[in-house]
Amino acid sequence: MEQVLQIIIGGLLQGSVFAVIALGLSLVFRVTGIINLAQGGFCILGALTLYTLETDYGLPAPLAVLAAVAITTLIGLGLGAASFVPSLSRLPNSSMLMLTAGLMTAIEGLALVVWGSQPYAVPPFSGERPLVLLGLHLPSQGLWIAGASALMIFGVWYALARTAVGKALLACAENPMAARLMGVDVRLLTLASFGLTALIGAVGGIAVAPIMSFQFDSGRFFTNAGFIAVAIGGMTSLGGAVAGGLFLGVAEQLAAAYVSSLFATAVSLALLLATLIWRPNGLFAARITRRQDVREELRVHRAIVRFRGRGATIGGLVVLALLATLPQLVGAGAMSSLVIALILFVSVLGLDVLMGYTGQVNLGQSGFMAIGGYTAAILATNYGLPPLLGLAAGIVLSLACALVLSMVTLRLRGAYLALATLTFGLLVDSLTVGLGDLTGGPSGLVGIPAFSIAGFAFATPESLYYLVLGFVTLLVLALMGGMRSGFGRALQAIRTDQMAAAALGINVVRHKMAAFGICAALGSIAGSLYAFDFHFLAPEMVGTARSFEMIAMLIVGGEGTLVGGLIGALLITLLPTIFQPLAAYKIMAEGLLLVLVFQFMPDGLLGTGMRHLFHFGTRDRAPVRAPAAKEHAR
Amino acid sequence: MNALEIEHLTKHFGGVRATNDVSFAVPEGSLTALIGPNGAGKTTLFNLITNLFRADSGTVRFFGEDLGERSPSEIAGLGLLRTFQTARVFPGMTALENVMAGAHRRLRSPALAQLLWLPGARAEERRLTERAEALLELVGLQGFRDVAATSLPMGAQKLIEVCRALLAGPRLLLLDEPAAGLNDTETAELSRLLRAIRDGGITILIVEHNMSLVMDSAQQVVVLDAGCCIATGSPREILNDQRVIEAYLGPAAEVA
Repeated sequence: MEQVLQIIIGGLLQGSVFAVIALGLSLVFRVTGIINLAQGGFCILGALTLYTLETDYGLPAPLAVLAAVAITTLIGLGLGAASFVPSLSRLPNSSMLMLTAGLMTAIEGLALVVWGSQPYAVPPFSGERPLVLLGLHLPSQGLWIAGASALMIFGVWYALARTAVGKALLACAENPMAARLMGVDVRLLTLASFGLTALIGAVGGIAVAPIMSFQFDSGRFFTNAGFIAVAIGGMTSLGGAVAGGLFLGVAEQLAAAYVSSLFATAVSLALLLATLIWRPNGLFAARITRRQDVREELRVHRAIVRFRGRGATIGGLVVLALLATLPQLVGAGAMSSLVIALILFVSVLGLDVLMGYTGQVNLGQSGFMAIGGYTAAILATNYGLPPLLGLAAGIVLSLACALVLSMVTLRLRGAYLALATLTFGLLVDSLTVGLGDLTGGPSGLVGIPAFSIAGFAFATPESLYYLVLGFVTLLVLALMGGMRSGFGRALQAIRTDQMAAAALGINVVRHKMAAFGICAALGSIAGSLYAFDFHFLAPEMVGTARSFEMIAMLIVGGEGTLVGGLIGALLITLLPTIFQPLAAYKIMAEGLLLVLVFQFMPDGLLGTGMRHLFHFGTRDRAPVRAPAAKEHAR
Repeated sequence: MNALEIEHLTKHFGGVRATNDVSFAVPEGSLTALIGPNGAGKTTLFNLITNLFRADSGTVRFFGEDLGERSPSEIAGLGLLRTFQTARVFPGMTALENVMAGAHRRLRSPALAQLLWLPGARAEERRLTERAEALLELVGLQGFRDVAATSLPMGAQKLIEVCRALLAGPRLLLLDEPAAGLNDTETAELSRLLRAIRDGGITILIVEHNMSLVMDSAQQVVVLDAGCCIATGSPREILNDQRVIEAYLGPAAEVA
């Protein structure tokens, strides 16, 4: 009994940190309708800054804490003013979600550059000695955590419910246009709420820092936990966010104590999926229905890039010839990166069909890569099956997962759907770590054979490169055929207006599932090829960071163009290899690239380039230049 | 035979009776106009017919077939197509592609054949392009075929939406205020298009405020007011109907 109580108290302490993060997420969501995936980044920035101020500069603890909170809040305000707030009025919600993912990656990259990849720990605020209360042991830091959490929760509740600023914030959430007409400075208030979540994040991160070791990418853990908490509790209710956080903390601690600590994450993710399926608005949801459509409609426009006619054929052949001679041009060092870029492009193509054409955000593409990679690798390594058979088995398993996932997520829309896919990716991720007997656990799976077809092994990078190049060429041709025909038109109709699509007899559900299936199958193929290429597979190679990287490739290249992803894949994979000093900045550059492209060329390099260089295609809502546009566009 | 039979259709939103025991029929091959003051429940009626909203009670039959349990896309599949009050062309697609999207229910080649560029699928696609181009030419938009549909003026977008529904090969076409926001030339264009559609054997049910358009082209007029069907008849009968005049102008005493 005492042990159970002890575990529950531990769970409540951990949960109160989750609750604080959830509070920050909920706050931004209520004001802007966006889930701010960068939230956890502020936690880790706060904690790392505290470490530096306390250890390197010898500041006394209270001063260091205050300074760390202030610095993190300033960084948050800076990011908000430079990127989050200005993008809000221009980008659709799904792009905003990915923009925050980019901000998160940029913050992680910044932390990596400044603090390196080693873990850090800070001493507890009031000594190591635990408090003993009614025979139960409490770490003294627990009181600090509980106190800080309570203060934050009360502060946010008071500000929203009892002050005029709070009322104005809620007005921004309900209808930004009307709020602006009523004299509310929407941009300033949005910025303020973004800065406030940075402050909340920093306080949470700093309070919990002494009882955990943390490093540059621990922010993910905070974002994930906070997001799970807020989704369980309900996006739009502050009380729900807090309750969800505490609930999650206790559930995780109980799972860790009685099942296995490796499965604690899996348990919480399963809990989240169950919530998303049965109570999509959360267990403690407030009865508020947001009118997301108020702002959504005007922001889905983008350049129309179409490749037709002789020019497209010639251009395609030139690109193909260039790709075929590329191995002769680059050195042996870049060769392996070239293969990886092409393999990832396969997966990005799938993402483009699902996100670029059908408008469904998928933040869990790496999950399908992991399924394909591990299935093929395990079958080929442990059971000696031909690699091609392993690859096929991976596709079947991925399609099965995609079918189940798309069936359970049919009722979900927008942000919830995106987050269900993120959860799926995290779930697969935690399973690859947890099922150590099968996957080799965190240390990875070794001795994977080279890819072979009918006994011919593609053992050298060159041979694999040409194989994948051939496959990619056929794949692009096939997808182009599909996307320019009725199937692709149906997907694009669904992207922007499901109701109008249905009114034309388009079966929305079936088309979405088909797009999801294509995406999953291509992700799976890419994962299998990746494993055979590396002869080794570890969870972080196909982890959530990979999902975001592939999204960055797609966005940088240009959504809805198929071939644009190739530019993104080559750029993001090759640049760090060619400029070695860049390698340390790779993560930060990836994040910044994603953010900047979203902000300044939402059509991607290909879309924007085409528009400027060749006056090719027209952007929606552009001034009408009709008769002239006709000749250019053909 | 009646293309559409509506019987005792009722829908409440909270305490508001958006549609109250409405019954009327649309004869096959006719052009029927649905008129009424703002808020009379005309668009709600369209949404009930196409099952975007579920009716509280009442039935809708399309060529004798009950539509009660069918999804919006199934209803479109039967050949009952509609347009929306605010033109809903698809952003990110050209005018031509928008029109071609309408042909979805008549496409025969499966997605796989399209992916593999099979000759049958390509030929079908070419035939479809020609028909879509012909429709654009009919409404005078052929010069804009490769322009982003959302960059066109509202009137052109509405015409594109009508073309899109036409390419689906409808047996019954529901048009929701196609003339709203159109200038005089465009309205004349539309009027010509409507008569061409009707002469082609397609039944039309149209919601419209533009009275001259209604009186010129409709054979039957149905008047809705505050959710109730208050009159049905030929345009001439409706013009002289006392209840219709009251619904539009208020009771005679107030007018005087």
